[in-house]
Amino acid sequence: MTAGANRIFVIAQNTYREAVREKLLYNLFAFSTLMILSSIVLAKMHLGYDERIYYDVGLAAIAFFGVLIAIFVGINLVYRELAQKTVYTMLAKPVHRWEFVVGKYAGLVSLLALEIGMMAALFMLVVWYKDTQFPIQLLYAIGLIFMELVLITAVALFFSSFTTPYLAAMFTVGLWIIGHLLADIRDFGNLPDAAGIRPITQALYWGLPNLDRLDLKGPAAAGQVIELGTVLSRALYALLYSAMLLIGAVALFQRRDFR
Amino acid sequence: MSLIQARGLRKSFRTGFLGRRVEAVRGVDLDVREGEIFGFIGPNGAGKTTTIKLLTGLILPTAGEAWIQGVPVSDPRSRQHLGFLPEGTFFHEYLTGAEFLDFHARLLGIPRDVRRQRIPELLQRVGIPHAADMRLRSYSKGMRQRAGLAQALIGDPDVLILDEPMSGLDPLGRKDVRDLILSLRDEGKTIFFSSHILADAEVICDQVAIIVRGRVVHQGYLDALLGQELSGVELVVEGIDENLFEQVQALAQRALVQGSRFQFEFDDEAEAEKALDWIRSEGGRIRSLVPRRRSLEDLFVEEAKKETHA
Repeated sequence: MTAGANRIFVIAQNTYREAVREKLLYNLFAFSTLMILSSIVLAKMHLGYDERIYYDVGLAAIAFFGVLIAIFVGINLVYRELAQKTVYTMLAKPVHRWEFVVGKYAGLVSLLALEIGMMAALFMLVVWYKDTQFPIQLLYAIGLIFMELVLITAVALFFSSFTTPYLAAMFTVGLWIIGHLLADIRDFGNLPDAAGIRPITQALYWGLPNLDRLDLKGPAAAGQVIELGTVLSRALYALLYSAMLLIGAVALFQRRDFR
Repeated sequence: MSLIQARGLRKSFRTGFLGRRVEAVRGVDLDVREGEIFGFIGPNGAGKTTTIKLLTGLILPTAGEAWIQGVPVSDPRSRQHLGFLPEGTFFHEYLTGAEFLDFHARLLGIPRDVRRQRIPELLQRVGIPHAADMRLRSYSKGMRQRAGLAQALIGDPDVLILDEPMSGLDPLGRKDVRDLILSLRDEGKTIFFSSHILADAEVICDQVAIIVRGRVVHQGYLDALLGQELSGVELVVEGIDENLFEQVQALAQRALVQGSRFQFEFDDEAEAEKALDWIRSEGGRIRSLVPRRRSLEDLFVEEAKKETHA
C-alpha cells in the first residue's frame, strides 16, 4: 500500500470506528428494523397482497432510513471533526487535504454498506420467514438504493466542506427531495404557460442529480423485469456524480482555513 | 541552519456580519535554528496561534512564506518530521490513550512493531502509563495535555511546534513539561513553543520572539535581549521604626511589611544607596540586598505598553 493509500485507509477506518459509536445510528437502525418487521402485521391487514407489502415496506424502510443515516450521521461526523478541531492534529501531519476528504468519504460509505447489508439481510429474513420469493430485482433495487446513498453522502460532504452542519443538512435534504422531483420539474417547465421559467427547469433537470434514475423500488416490488445493464449504467451515473461532488469538496477544502 | 523560517508572514480574516478585515499576523519573520528551544511569547490575541497555524499548514497565509526544514509549509512533506501539539487538546474522545497514539502513528506510516514498542514508552515518558486503556474523554485536562505531547512525539520528529504546552497544567505538570522540553533539546530536537507564561519561557528558552498585535517586536537570544544592566534593587531590613519606614517607602517603588521585616524595591540604585545609609545610621539591620536584572516579564510589559500606545 502506498503512503497516501495508507493514510486514506487509516482515516476511513477511524471514521467508521467513530460512526459505529453514534447513538443516532442505532436509533435509526432500530426504527428501520421496526418498520421492516411491521410489514408482517401490515400484510395481515391487506389480504391477498402479502408479497407486495413485504417488498414495498422493506424497500421503503431501507431507502428512507438509509438516507437519514447518510445525511445526519454523515454530516455530523464531518462537522464534529471540524468543530471539535480533531482535524488539527491530523492535517498537521503529512496528510494531504484531499486524502482527508476521501478518507472521510470512504469511512462513511463503508458504514452505509454495513447498514444497507444488515437491513437487506433482515428484509430477506422476513421474506423467507413468510415463505415468499425473493426475486433478484429486489437485490438490484437495494443495490441502487446503496448507490443513491453513496451519492447523497457525497452531497452531504460537499455542503459540509463550506457551511454549517444545519445548513448542510437542510441543503442535502432539499437536494434529495428535488432530486426525486426532477422529471416533474422538467414537465412543469414544458407546459405552454411556463415558457418563462423553462430555462430554469431545464438547468435544474440537467444540472442536479436525478435520483429517480436510482429508484427502482416500484418496478422491483411489482415484479417487473429489470436488466442488469440498466442497473449498472445507473450505478455508474451515481458514481460519476459522486466523484464530481468529491472533487468539488476537495477543491473547497484546499482553500479552507481551519481557524 | 534554520529549521523553521518565516518571511513576511501575514494573515487577515474577515469577521462579523459586514466581513470586516482583521489583520491577525502582520509581517512575521522567524528563524529557529537547529537544536534550540524557541519561545514565542505574547499576550492573548497577539497572533501566536495564528502564526503556528500558518506554520503547520492549517491556515493559508494572505502574504509571505514559511518553511520547515527548507520545505514550504504549503507542501504536506514539510510535516513529515514535525510534531505538533495544538492549543486546547482537541482529540477523538472515544479512543483510548493507546488507540489515539496508534491512530496518529499509523497516519505517519510507522510500522506495527515500532508502534508497539514506542506507544508504552511515550506514555511512560509523559507520565500517564496507567492511562493507556482509558478513553480520552475520562482524562483530566493535565492528562489530555500529556497525551497530546505524546501524540506530537509519536513520529520521533526533528522539529516540535507546541502551542501553549504548559496551559492547564498544575505546577508539577509544568515542571514535567519543562523537563521534557529540555530533554528533547538534549536529544537534538528543535522546539518552537508558544506561551504567555513568561517565567517558563525565561527558564528554558535559548531564543525568544515577542509578538504583540500581530507583529514580532523583539527576537533574539535571551542574554542579548535582556542585557546585563540592573533593572533595580530589592532590599530587606529589620529593626527600623515607623518614621524611617515611611521615609524609605517614599524613595522605593514598592514597600511590603512582612511581620518584623520590611521589603523595599527600588528602580534606581542611587536611591537604594541613600535608603541604606539612612537605615544604617538609625541602627537598622540589613537582611538582604539583591540586585535585580531586567526580566523577560519587564521586557514583555514594556513592549506590550509601547505597542498599545502606538
